[in-house]
Formats: sequence, C-alpha cells, structure tokens
Amino acid sequence: MSGFFKLLARNRLALGGLIVMVAVVLLSLLTPLLPLANPDVIDTANRFKLPLEGTALLGTDHLGRDLLSRLLWGTRLSLAVGFVAAAVAATLGATIGIVAGFYGGKTDNIIMRGVDMLMAFPYILLALAIVAALGPGLMNALIAVSAVNIPFFARNIRGVTVGIAHKEFVDAARLSGMGDLRIIATEVLPNVIPVIVIAISTTVGWMILETAGLSFLGLGSQPPQADLGSMLGEARSALITNPNTSIIPGAMILIIVMAINLLGDGVRDALDPRLKSGALSRPMPATRVDRKAPIPTASDDALLALRDLHTQFHVKGRVYKAVGGVDLSVRPGECLGIIGESGSGKSVTALSVMGLVASPPGVITGGAVYYQGQDLVGAPYETLRRLRGDSVAYIFQDPQATLHPLYTIGDQLIEAVRVHHPKGKAEARAHAIDLLKSVRIPNAEDRINSYPHELSGGMRQRVGIAMALANDPEVIIADEPTTALDVTVQAQILSLLDDLRRERGLAIIFITHDFGVVAQLCDRVAVMYAGRIVEEGPTEAILNTAAHPYTARLMACVPELGGGRRRLAAIPGLPPGVDQLGIGCAFADRCDKVQPACRAADIPLAPLRPGQKVRCIHPEPARPEAVA
Amino acid sequence: MAGYIIKRLLSAIPVLLGISIIVFVIMAMIPGDPATAILGSYATPENVEKLNRDLGLDQPMIQRYFIWLGNMLHGDFGRSFSLNRAVLDEVLERFNATLVLAGTAFVICSLLGVAAGVISAARQFGLADKLITFVVLLGISIPSFFLGMMMILIFAVDLRWFPVSGMWPIYGDRDFTALIRHLTLPAIALAVVAAGVIARLSRSAMLEVLRQDFIRTARAKGVHERSVIWRHALRAAMVTIIPVLGIQAGFVLSGAVYIEIVFQWPGVGRMLVDAILTRDILLVQGGVVIVAACYVMFNIVVDVAQSLLDPRIKT
Amino acid sequence: MTEALKLTGLSKSFPVGKRLFGPPKAMVRAVRPTSLVVDKGETLGIVGESGCGKTTLARMLVGLLAPTGGRIEIEGEPLNTTNPATFGRKIQYVFQDPISSLNPRKTIRQIMEAPLRHLHRMPKAARATRISEIFAAVNLREEFLERYPHEFSGGQAQRIGIARALAADARILILDEPVSALDVSVQAQVLNLLSDLKAKLGLTYLFISHDLAVVEAVSDRVAVLYFGSVVEIGPTDQVFAAPHHPYTKLLADSAPKVGRALKAPEARETELPNPLDPPQGCAFRARCPYAIPRCATEEPALEMQQAGVWAACHNPQ
Repeated sequence: MSGFFKLLARNRLALGGLIVMVAVVLLSLLTPLLPLANPDVIDTANRFKLPLEGTALLGTDHLGRDLLSRLLWGTRLSLAVGFVAAAVAATLGATIGIVAGFYGGKTDNIIMRGVDMLMAFPYILLALAIVAALGPGLMNALIAVSAVNIPFFARNIRGVTVGIAHKEFVDAARLSGMGDLRIIATEVLPNVIPVIVIAISTTVGWMILETAGLSFLGLGSQPPQADLGSMLGEARSALITNPNTSIIPGAMILIIVMAINLLGDGVRDALDPRLKSGALSRPMPATRVDRKAPIPTASDDALLALRDLHTQFHVKGRVYKAVGGVDLSVRPGECLGIIGESGSGKSVTALSVMGLVASPPGVITGGAVYYQGQDLVGAPYETLRRLRGDSVAYIFQDPQATLHPLYTIGDQLIEAVRVHHPKGKAEARAHAIDLLKSVRIPNAEDRINSYPHELSGGMRQRVGIAMALANDPEVIIADEPTTALDVTVQAQILSLLDDLRRERGLAIIFITHDFGVVAQLCDRVAVMYAGRIVEEGPTEAILNTAAHPYTARLMACVPELGGGRRRLAAIPGLPPGVDQLGIGCAFADRCDKVQPACRAADIPLAPLRPGQKVRCIHPEPARPEAVA
Repeated sequence: MAGYIIKRLLSAIPVLLGISIIVFVIMAMIPGDPATAILGSYATPENVEKLNRDLGLDQPMIQRYFIWLGNMLHGDFGRSFSLNRAVLDEVLERFNATLVLAGTAFVICSLLGVAAGVISAARQFGLADKLITFVVLLGISIPSFFLGMMMILIFAVDLRWFPVSGMWPIYGDRDFTALIRHLTLPAIALAVVAAGVIARLSRSAMLEVLRQDFIRTARAKGVHERSVIWRHALRAAMVTIIPVLGIQAGFVLSGAVYIEIVFQWPGVGRMLVDAILTRDILLVQGGVVIVAACYVMFNIVVDVAQSLLDPRIKT
Repeated sequence: MTEALKLTGLSKSFPVGKRLFGPPKAMVRAVRPTSLVVDKGETLGIVGESGCGKTTLARMLVGLLAPTGGRIEIEGEPLNTTNPATFGRKIQYVFQDPISSLNPRKTIRQIMEAPLRHLHRMPKAARATRISEIFAAVNLREEFLERYPHEFSGGQAQRIGIARALAADARILILDEPVSALDVSVQAQVLNLLSDLKAKLGLTYLFISHDLAVVEAVSDRVAVLYFGSVVEIGPTDQVFAAPHHPYTKLLADSAPKVGRALKAPEARETELPNPLDPPQGCAFRARCPYAIPRCATEEPALEMQQAGVWAACHNPQ
C-alpha cells in the first residue's frame, strides 16, 4: 500500500491532481462553516454584478444571488452526487460482473445478454427515459447516472474475472477444499479490486460530467438548489451579455474533472502491474546504442562477427547485463549453435545483431557487430533496415505470435520480397509460391491465401522459414525455432532447415537450449552462462570433452531416451541474476571445483585445444579416448 | 459474408425486443394512473379516455406490452399531445437533423482521434505525445455544453466567424455552405470529447500492438518504419479500436442532446428534453425506441466492419 | 500390490458452438473412453503431444472437470465426481506453470494453510508445525513463508506447488508437466525431489509430460496418448525399447538425440487429424507407414502384445 502511494507521488501530474482534489474536497466539506452569503437569497436589485464589483467576491447571478456561495455549495453537491453515483455503479456493476465471470456458462450468458441490451442504448437515452419516468430531480438523476453506468462496470469486471477464474491458483484453491464463496472472497476479489479501483478512478470524472449534464438540461437539481450543472444551465440564457456567470461554474467543473482524471491516470499507472514495470512502452525501430568504450575492430574475414558485444536492460535504475561481452563469428555455410538456459543472454545476443532488442529498456552499450566488415551497431537506421531480411534474416520462436494475424501468409511473404526488391505483384506472388514449395508446404497455390490461424504450428513455422528465405539472405538467425513445437513436428522442421542450409550455402546462427538439437544440426557451438560465452568449439569436441564445468554438468542433467529409470544429475542453486554479477566466474557459486582464484578476477575466454576455447581456470580434463 | 450479415441482423431481433421491454418497464415505473401520468398536463377526460382505449391501459401489463409492440410494428407510435402530431413523423424529422450533426462529429472524432492516438504512440514520450496527451486530457475533462458555450462566445460572438445557433439561416438560402457554417461549431464541440476518448484508447491499443512479436517480425523483414506503424500496427490495433468507435458513436449521439440545446439545433435530443419537461411521455417513449433501434443497426455495421478486418471472426 | 487409482471408461467431450438454449452444434471428444489402473506406489507416465487430451484426463482425475462418462475409483472407493473438495484429501495436482498456480496476492504461508484449514480443519498451532515439516521435506527455507509468489524463481515456485499438494496429505499426486517450464539444471533438482518424496512418503504418481526422456527417467509404466486415446501402455523400458504402436515408435525416433544423424522420421508432411471431423478407423492411419486396409474401417482396441504391454494397433510391430 505504501508502495502504491510512493508510485503515485512520483507521478507529478497525478500528485498535482491529488492536491487539487484534496483542496476541492476540503473546501466543500468546510462550506457550511465558511462565512458565506446564503446561496439562495434573491436580490434582483444587485443582479449580474461582476466579480469584485459590490460585496460579492465573484459577483452575482441573474437573480442577484452570491456566485461564490452558490459555486461552493454547488461544488459540494456535484461532488457528492458524482461520488455516490460512482460508488453505487461500481458496487452493483462489479457484483454482477464477478458473478457472471466466475460462474460462467448459462448464468454468464443470461446476465451478459441483459448487459448487452442496456449497452445497446446510447447512454443518455436510458438516463432520459429513467428521468422521464421518475420525474426531474437530483436524486432521480443520480439513479439514472448510476443505472446507466452499471453495464460498463459489469462488462469490464466480468472480463477480468473470467481471466482470473481460469487461473491455476483458483483450481488449486478448489483442491484445497475451498468453496465458491470463499474462493470469490479470498482468491478472486483481491485480484479484481485493483481493476475496480482503476475503473472507479477513471469514471468518477465522467459521472460528475454526466450528472452536471442532466442538471444542465434542467432534469437534475431543481431550483433553488443548484449544482454546478444547473448553475451553467441557468446562466446560459445570459451567456452573451454576462459570460462570467457561465464561465465560473464551467471552469469549476473543468478543474474538478481534470484533477480527477489526472489522479485517475496516476492510480491506474500505479496499480496496473504491466505499467508498474515500465513495460508499456513501445520498442523503437532499432535498439538504442550508447557505446562509451572504443569500438573494437573487425579482426578476421568472417561473414558476421560479434566483437565484445554488451547489451543491457535499464529498468528503474537497475542495470541488467544481459549480454556482457560476447565474441562470436560465423563463416559462409556454417551453422553455429548458441546454447544456454533461460536468462543466459542467448536470445538477446541474437537480437542485438540487427538492433531488434526492444528499446526501451534495451541498450547496446559496447562492442560491434561486423557484417562483411561493416559495423551494424553504429550504422544509421536506414542501413540496418536495408540489411534486415535481405542479408540477415530471422526465424523466431513462436510462429503463432510472430506472424501478423490479419494478413494472409501470401501478403506477408510478398511484402518481405517487395520491400527489398521492387517486383511486380504477380512476379512476387509467383516467388512466394516457390518459397512455400521450397519449405515443403503442400498445396502452396492454395495455402498462400490462408491466414496464419488457419495453419497448424508446424506449417506456420514453415511459413516463418519461407519468409526468412525470401531474399536469399547470407545469414539466418534462428531463435529457438522449434521450442514451441511438438517433437514429431520439430524433427520435420530441423531436417528441413538442415537441407536448406546445405542446398543454399546459408550461414545459420541457431539458438537453443537443447543439446540434442545442437548435436544434430550445428558445426560449432557456443555455451552461454549469465550473459557470457563460457565455452566455444566444434560441436563434437564440446559434446565429447566439455571443458567448462558448467557445460559438462549441464549435459549430465539432460535426460536422454534409452537411459532407463534413474536419478538425474542436478546442479544445485540457481543461475545468478544478471543485475548482480560479481567479479570473476559467474558459475563459481554452483561449481564443485571452485577455488579462491575463481572469484578474484575476470576470467578470459582462452584457447584450450585446437578450435576450443573455455572461460575457466580449472577446465575439465580431456577424456583419454577423445584425445586419442 | 452475406450469411454473416443476415446472422447479425437476425441476432438484432432479440436485442430490439429487449430494448422495447426495457423502455416499457421504465415507463411502467411511472407512479399513479398511467393515462393521467402519460398525459401530464394534457390530461383532459377525453384524452385520458382515448389513451386508455388506444393503449389498452385497462388491461394487464403483459397485454399492454404486446398491444404497444404491435402498434409500433405497424408504425404507430402514438400521438404527441404537446405537439399534436404523430410521434413517428416528429421523431424522424428531428432525427434527420441529429444525424447530420452527430454523423459529422463522429467522422471528425474518429479520424482525429485515431490519428492522434497513432502519432502519440509512435512518438511515445516525445513532444508530439506530450502535446496530444495534454489536449486529450483537456478534451475529456471539459463538459461538452460548456465547451459549446465558450465556442459561441469566442467564434460566434467575438470573432463573428460562425453563426451563434440554429441549423439554417433565418433569412437566405438553405444551401450547403449555409449548413456547413452552422454545423462547424456544434460538430466540433460534439467531437472533442469522443475524439479524446478515442485518442487515448488508440494510443494504448497501438502501444500494446507495437510490443507484439509480429511487429518485431515486420522490422526483422526490413519493412519501413512508416509501414510498420500505419500498416502492420494500426491494422492490428483497429481490432480493438473499432468496437470503441461503436461505443463512442453512442456517446456522440448522447452528447448531441447537450449540443442541440446549446446551439438550438432542431434535433431529436432537444425534442426529448422538451418532451420530458412537458411530460409528453409518448413522445419520449417513441423517440427513445426509434433512436436506440437506429443505434443497434449502426452497431451491426460496426460488427460487419470488424469481421471484414479480422479473418479470425467466423463469418 | 493394490490399486491406488482405477478409471473405467472415463471420457470427456466438449461442446463446440454453444447456444443459449438447446444442444450445441457439435461435440469434440477430447478424451475417448479410457480405462487405466495405477497401483499403489507406482509412477505411471503419460506421454503425448499437444492436443492429445492428457491435461483433460488429468483435470478429470482431480475433479476440476466433470467427466462425460465413466467412473473413477480411488483405493477401491468410487468417487463422487461432482465435488472437487471430496477429491482434495485423496488426490492432488501439481500444475505446469508454477507461478500462475500461486495467488499473487497471498503469502506462501496463506497458500500453504488453505488445504490444512479447509481439508483437515487443523488448528493454528498444528498448522504451523505441519507446514514446517513439509517445508523441510521439500528443502525450502521457512523464511520463504512470509513472502509473495513473485519473489520466487520457477524452480522454487514449483517446490512450493509440490509442498501445497503434500499439505493436503493425499496419497496420489497428478503431476501435469511439472518440469516443462523449468530449465534443465533446475528440472533435474525437481525430478529428484519428487522421487525422494515418493520413496519417503509412499506416494503414487501420475506423471504427465511431452518429454519422453523425462518420463522414462521417472516412470515405472508409461501410457502413450494419441488423439484422446491410449494407444500403448506398458512397463517404460519395454515400451520405449521396442514400441509396438507405430506412433510410439515415431515419438521415440523424433526426440533429438546426441549422436543420431538428422533425418525426419516421417517422410510426409503430416498433421494431426481434425477433432471436428475425426477420421474413421484408426486416428493415426494417415501418418502410419504400416497401415493396412482394416485400419480405415475399424477402430483398434487395446490388445495385449506381450506380458504387461498393450497396444491399440491392427498391425503392431
């Protein structure tokens, strides 16, 4: 709770709104105690006095009543009615929404049909009909405004409740012996309340406007009692001759509603967990680059070479060193595997190549990526864009999420071609069909008109591959392309990728967490841990004689079919967080060979055997049969 | 597609019935003798007797509903006692004027709102974003009737660019330019609030979409950033924006009531308020049912547009 | 050996295209009538790919889904399949996603107390002692009890999920992909913990996974699910060493393996059958290299292939 207020206070606009609101609420609470003129005393001799003219501070209205006094009493009334209407609508709406969302099925169906009916009215028609039936009056306006807003709350809260009611922790609560009412009270409600508070805070202003509106129309508060809306309504006839009588209550409504809206936005930002982590910012077209250290030079003739690459995430004053100095290179026709567990930085490394790390919060803070000798990290956006998909193409993990859901796969393929190579539509389409055939999609001529949701996961990933191949790139970066797929489909996709790279002489950087996949597909492999490469070398050498203790022990953890029932080797502990890396070996805390020297200084990635490099001062000994 | 439209039209029937029931029930809440209450100040003995006969007010509720429904289906919405005119004729004439006003405002707020939202999202935290966010905040906080009054003061009274009120000039031709001159201020005043809401939602919908994986795919393909924003992202965001447009159409229609009062626009909203104040209940009832029915039809158009946009909706 | 869990003809169909009134447009059979027996102290592995019905089956076993047909018996007693609370003390569930199975707004202590309070009506002091015992058993520090779920890594959260299941004091645990959200180094820790607990407490496991190697490492017997039916069941080592059903063989050949050349085990680019339009006869027929004419007309039933191994195939290998 204190965290909530801290977050709210940090938002300067919301704080301003809060201050204004506190002032207005205090003022209206104190109104009866203030030495004000009676707001309803008519004094036609002193009508339409301007502010400061005569005794009334803000002047008088068309009946000579004191405007300041009427303004404060009116504010008091408007606020009270707005808050009560919001509370009533929220309570009833949320109850309906929770019941419908939690029970689902027929209950939900019938309630929501009713809500839909109410929402089929433009809201004011319903309010007008209610006022017409009950007669004009502030209480009736309040009832009308609450009633009209119930469906909005109900629908909003229902949506959230449905999401929560299907969460596994609700199932778990059931299995813990809890009944429906207890689950609603202790599992669902605490998770729905922030949404209710957000909904209230963003609609209170609206409710005040609506009640003011009904009063403005003469359907709300009745004379002599006045709220802000009816003050405006009464002043309207003298708008041209005496605008100040209109401007004063109008400006008051504007100030109140604006303060409430600012405060409401602040409350929303402070309560919404996605906004809290600063996540709801859009990634820029290319990752931000902020290199302080000198830029390393291209050293060899590799097609694509990463030199001392550093990529970090800056989130709320914390620095996550996702990639902490990675050197890698790939030659034409070579398949390089990058293997690591989640959080090891393997995907961020891959995305950094073409500046695709989401930014904010990602920043490339050092190093270089050389493609045919040209540094991509410092390159202007247009250069990067021209190379993306044309020379260096990506295949991503989840084919369901990575294809645009609203365009046919044909359109997406054609776009991939035409953005780099101006071709006629028909020619591009023929090319797209060829691409689909090359990834062995049956009936390519028909399938080209399919939308992604009409294809199975395996077929979608074939489309993803076809898209990567569209412009005959030199390098393909595949980021866990088979992780989301079933094993039988994975086998098909891997064998397709292997055929394609041999046919086309592609260089592939293949990111995975699966040693079996690396063994079958890659020529060389780099093992990543806590943002750095701990070992690199020919696949066979690494798999047979892993030199880094992490590699060796990780491989021992992987169960393999044919091993029978057994106890698995495990690595105790957890990988370190990349926001709190110490000096020296990141694996030291989990390593059983750790020596004081491991934690004393940075350990370089040093050559050990021909082609094999390791970041360890006590590497595993080579097995005798492997040396021979 | 035709099948989907027919399906949607059929599904509107229960909604329309529901609307008629809701209106009927609300009107049945009127305390006291219905005929006297409905007629209000026009409750002469002859009128009461005639109304009792017309509406079958001596019958039980259910039967009264069906008599009323049957009459409506024949185009008979009763007579307005205050205007001494058939309700349907009056409502249709007034609704015409409302459609001109609300339709224009809706087009303005949709275009402006979506464009502002997209630009704001694409330039998140930039100057344009801050400016738009501020204007939007102002827009959603100002009562539309107050805005309308201020616009009259500034643009009609002070600057004399536009007429103060009405739909047509009192003297002179009722031509298109005259209409535009009269329409400009009320249409803008009406559009501002809805444009603000649409801009906010478009901005957050765009921000949500821009974080999706398929946007990264588009960028990885080398698609121009302009096309990433206006083609890939906006199209996906429209799936969330279009239903909002449907809801906002209802708000524009609602806001028209205030604007019609402020600008003396001869629309259905002003008619309804006058009818309530004179307790011309039949006119209220007929007006509400007819406008709500039109809004239901409009929402079908929105749904059809949505299904054209999103192939995942089963047609 | 006695039966811990017995299913007889258990099935589940989901309606598609619901209407407000009247019957739905179609029914999809997620689990076809299935009969299984799990012995006390045994681990039965259930493997299958996405959409094969393994999670639906598991959720029925703990009462989170009402079966369409069939019976569940636990330790010889038939269960009332309509009330999950009657299941709680006999059979518990460990969820796939460890984080989302913990309420983000409750402390771990509150989460752990729920089964003790509601299933066992234990007084406060007894609850605290019991929670300490359980936490010691799953190697969790007691200081974790006052924290909230988001403060834990996946592996720790999964231990908490296991601890909660143990708190109910059930003899049978349904483990629904308990390690598939975890990294391999942590996965091994959790799998070893599960096997220790089983030995110490004499539990019975139903272990669901898509990963054949993991299932092999923990299971006594394994059942292979395809398209809602068990196609092969038997002792784990026998089933994987010499599969009788062609689908089991395909699964075993597809798992990437160090030292095996890369080739697609299936020549054709195949897909799963459409559940809205299920094929006649054997569901695997279209993908099967050994299909014979009979497969197109007659749905195969489980038949004993050798001692303890059953397969549903007209042309077993």
